[in-house]
Amino acid sequence: MPVFIRRYVHYVDKFNRLLGRFIMYFIFVMAGILLWSSVSKTFFLPSLWTLEMAQFAMVTYYIIGGPYSLQLGSNVRMDLFYGGWSDKTKAWMDAITVLFLIFFLGVLLYGGLSSTAYAIEYGERSYSAWRPYMWPVKVIMCFGLFMMILQSISEFFKDIARIRGTEI
Amino acid sequence: MSYELIAILMFSSMMLMLMTGQRVFGAIGFVGVVAALALWGTGGSDIGFSAAMKLMKWYPLLTLPMFIFMGYVLSESKIADDLYKMFHVWMGPVRGGLAIGTILLMVLVSAMNGLSVAGMAIGATIALPELLRRGYDKKMVTGVIQAGSSLGILVPPSVVLVLYAMIARQPVGQLWLAGVFPGLMMAAFFILYVVIRCRLQPELGPVLPAEERNIPRAEKLRLLRSGLLPIFIFAAMMVPFVNGWTSLVESSAIGALTAFLAAVVKKRMTREVFENSVRNTLGISCMFMWIILAALGFGAVFDGLGAVRAISGLFTEQLGLSPWTILILMQLSFIIMGTFLDDTAMLVIVAPLYVPLVHALGFDLVWYGVLYTITTQIAYMTPPFGYNLFLMRAMAPPEIGLKDIYGSILPFVCVMIFALVIVMLFPQIALWLPEYVYSK
Repeated sequence: MPVFIRRYVHYVDKFNRLLGRFIMYFIFVMAGILLWSSVSKTFFLPSLWTLEMAQFAMVTYYIIGGPYSLQLGSNVRMDLFYGGWSDKTKAWMDAITVLFLIFFLGVLLYGGLSSTAYAIEYGERSYSAWRPYMWPVKVIMCFGLFMMILQSISEFFKDIARIRGTEI
Repeated sequence: MSYELIAILMFSSMMLMLMTGQRVFGAIGFVGVVAALALWGTGGSDIGFSAAMKLMKWYPLLTLPMFIFMGYVLSESKIADDLYKMFHVWMGPVRGGLAIGTILLMVLVSAMNGLSVAGMAIGATIALPELLRRGYDKKMVTGVIQAGSSLGILVPPSVVLVLYAMIARQPVGQLWLAGVFPGLMMAAFFILYVVIRCRLQPELGPVLPAEERNIPRAEKLRLLRSGLLPIFIFAAMMVPFVNGWTSLVESSAIGALTAFLAAVVKKRMTREVFENSVRNTLGISCMFMWIILAALGFGAVFDGLGAVRAISGLFTEQLGLSPWTILILMQLSFIIMGTFLDDTAMLVIVAPLYVPLVHALGFDLVWYGVLYTITTQIAYMTPPFGYNLFLMRAMAPPEIGLKDIYGSILPFVCVMIFALVIVMLFPQIALWLPEYVYSK
């Protein structure tokens, strides 16, 4: 494989791995927010911000964690036929169908960007007592979707390499 | 093109995409966005992202990562070892007692987490080797563990019921309470089956030899204490919730942290266990969330077409079937589909089709949630492509082949279908507890 492709795969994988390994500790952030929410509700005044903050944390968790989960191979496939194919056939099929995945992510990102642009331009706020601005979480989501696309392209290159009988 | 035809086209192209073995969320999401673009042009392009926003707003979904984390902490840290020992010592002298103990263990594990995977891992790695060593029939014990671990999605907390609640727009708390008695009833049926089987064929489940039963009473009582831990975790989670001090989601966080602290206190939280639990929680949560995201987009297009009304019209008006016939047909088709589809995919694809139909037919949606979960349990376990079957194959000792696993589940599936029929005929088994608690 050409050097620049190898570099691309190397750096994208490395960056997404770091990102994923950082974001996986967000499970404690979410638990912490929820715990504070129940403590404050029972003993003090209920906090206004916990519910939406927990939601933002959850979205960040799974969108930013997405690329790392692709690397870990945790996304299930229906292996009715897939399971019985040789590694080469699998690589061929993946190299084709991953393009569909990239298309899906591309449409997601397109919708995300226009929604984010709207949120920034008009200073969109959530309908709640806390009224947080919506753009930070949307920017995070777009960033995550973008990294997801980069990771899918990296997976595509790895499939191509597998078809040619090499590894990156 | 008529809307029915578009709906059928979408559904079949999704099935085709799934067959290619691409990641399930990619396959569903792709068909969803392509259909949206084809139907509504560029106006359809934001359907994917608005599904992501909808998912964010759906607060109870936060329980998902919490319960997944809890399940991993429990199975990775091997807290359940002591529990198994307790049942081993106490139930050993009874014929088939270790199998009964395993079912009870599974009920306790189910009460501590919301998926069947943790129960399966604990059963296959801790209980199964012990049972085989004591000369238990391998077919029977494999079935016991599969059937027992499937209770994880019926006994509260249950992740499947959380997802169902999202689709059916029903309160999660009521659904969870509705799962309590059917779950316990099913466990009782399993135990009854084992007792009867072992009475007829004592060689299937021999009693423990005398020298092993000779354990001092103090030791026996000491082991009984380990049973307090799951009760403690369950109580820490459910007591504040049932009393209304915390919401469901907050309780799930308390449960996750309690399980984590229990592992730390018991000195089982090593660096490796910590790493595995945290990493796998991210992986599995992402898997669920991305599939739900894709399916929400797909479902939004489906809803926009009014496909559900067309299908329900077809059944009730054109074919003239009674609501009960349709309900039974639905459950049957669900089991058949469940043998081919992946479990989460089935949940998010089939449920949005069936649930509005059930509602239109005038059935109680909380009650149907229980029926739905039992059917999912059966679908997980039935060959040729039950999800649990493969998990079992991956986790069980090598002497248990795929053939043994296939053969082992038949009697338990019969028991489960029997339980399903009972709950169908007597809805009060499911509905009594939620009605009692919520009418106070």
